[in-house]
Amino acid sequence: MNGYLNQVAAIVWKDFITELKTRELFSSMFIFALLVIIIFVFSVNLSIVGAREIGPGVLWVAFLFAGTIGLNRSFMLEKENGCLQGLLLAPVDRTALYFGKLVSNFVFLLIMEAFILPLFMIFFNIDLLPHLLPLLYVILVGTLGFCAIGTLLSSLSVNLKTRDIMLPILLYPLMVPVVIGSVQMTGQVLSGESLSGMMNWVGLTLCFDIIYIAVSIMTIDFVLEE
Amino acid sequence: MSDENKQDGSILIWLTIVAFLVAMIAIFIYVPTEQTEGAVQRIMYFHIPAAWLAFFSFFIVFLSSILFLWKKEREWDIYALASAEIGVIFCSLVLITGPIWARPIWGVWWMWDARLTSTLILWLIYVAYLMLRAQTDAGSMRARLAAVLGIVGFLDIPFIHFSVLWWNSVHPQPKMISEEGLGKGMDPSMVATLMVSLGAFTLLYFVLMGQRIKVEKMKDEVERLKKDHLYSH
Repeated sequence: MNGYLNQVAAIVWKDFITELKTRELFSSMFIFALLVIIIFVFSVNLSIVGAREIGPGVLWVAFLFAGTIGLNRSFMLEKENGCLQGLLLAPVDRTALYFGKLVSNFVFLLIMEAFILPLFMIFFNIDLLPHLLPLLYVILVGTLGFCAIGTLLSSLSVNLKTRDIMLPILLYPLMVPVVIGSVQMTGQVLSGESLSGMMNWVGLTLCFDIIYIAVSIMTIDFVLEE
Repeated sequence: MSDENKQDGSILIWLTIVAFLVAMIAIFIYVPTEQTEGAVQRIMYFHIPAAWLAFFSFFIVFLSSILFLWKKEREWDIYALASAEIGVIFCSLVLITGPIWARPIWGVWWMWDARLTSTLILWLIYVAYLMLRAQTDAGSMRARLAAVLGIVGFLDIPFIHFSVLWWNSVHPQPKMISEEGLGKGMDPSMVATLMVSLGAFTLLYFVLMGQRIKVEKMKDEVERLKKDHLYSH
């Protein structure tokens, strides 16, 4: 078990070092998320539509669109430089590869979200601080669901000819339950109510996370087969 | 292909033709016109069987995908492909016949009702599945990737169903026809017509599957012959 964790950690560490060297991914994800928020502000009249009604949706669309960039890069980088071959040749379990990529995607996305949230607070004039804890829970569960299925599909779409176009086409319809759930729960949290009134959504998103991590573990061997 | 097989295929085709003739007579002549909705209600006899076939096809995709990953036989890959194509066609028919019915009854073409929304998302998932297949070269890679998507996509259906249902229950909508129409208050003649239509569509599924599987196997054969005879020199 310890050896397995070390393998996962090695892959995560590798991704972090690459990112620290290039700083490509984080900056593009952050700026892209910011742009999505700003474009949404232009597309709706905030004096007519309440910021509290539209805010959660805008926030999650920004997270998911920016997150797609991260997912696309995650395996493409490996493919471009022929590193995927190396990773597959490494004497590690394929599921360790999946978990390593999952963790690094998850953490990159969380860092980006941590930077976006204060800006969201300012632009939409919503005070997040009193609801921070439940909000954090919603963001963690939603982002994990997104990364769980996103990492699997990213490893899948890297084999396609038009991989960067196909990933969103494959991913977004499957993401619908998590998107609706996250937006609903964020709306509930931001209106100051507790999540206990929305246990069905909490359960659904948690189930989604667990099932898709399990399915990914079972199927990743077939995707990453050379 | 043996003669016996051909015989079976043509029997199935004739059976389907007869079933559809009976269904047409039932739908357009036998069954009485619904009182409140009028003639447009007859679209239900196409709409519901098409929806049933779409879901059934996607379930077959799911089963074939699992069996492919397990057995690694091209046979299951062909079944998944054929079933996905049929499913997308019938899902499209559901999405077309639905609004045609909705326009005179609801007054709008489309409503973000739970059932409509989840059917649309289902359609998107399986169109993406077919795109994935079109994007990859034939071979074990395509079969494996498609099988994984076939499994992942089908497992999403319960999540989509519940999330869309709860999402919409926030905004109350008019009742769907199936809530009042299918179970109670439906004339026995209507139930009978629907059943005949369901049967005819189900037979059609097997006819289409048989044809599509034949075509795909022929393609494989052509590929094999090409390799043997054209590239060997």
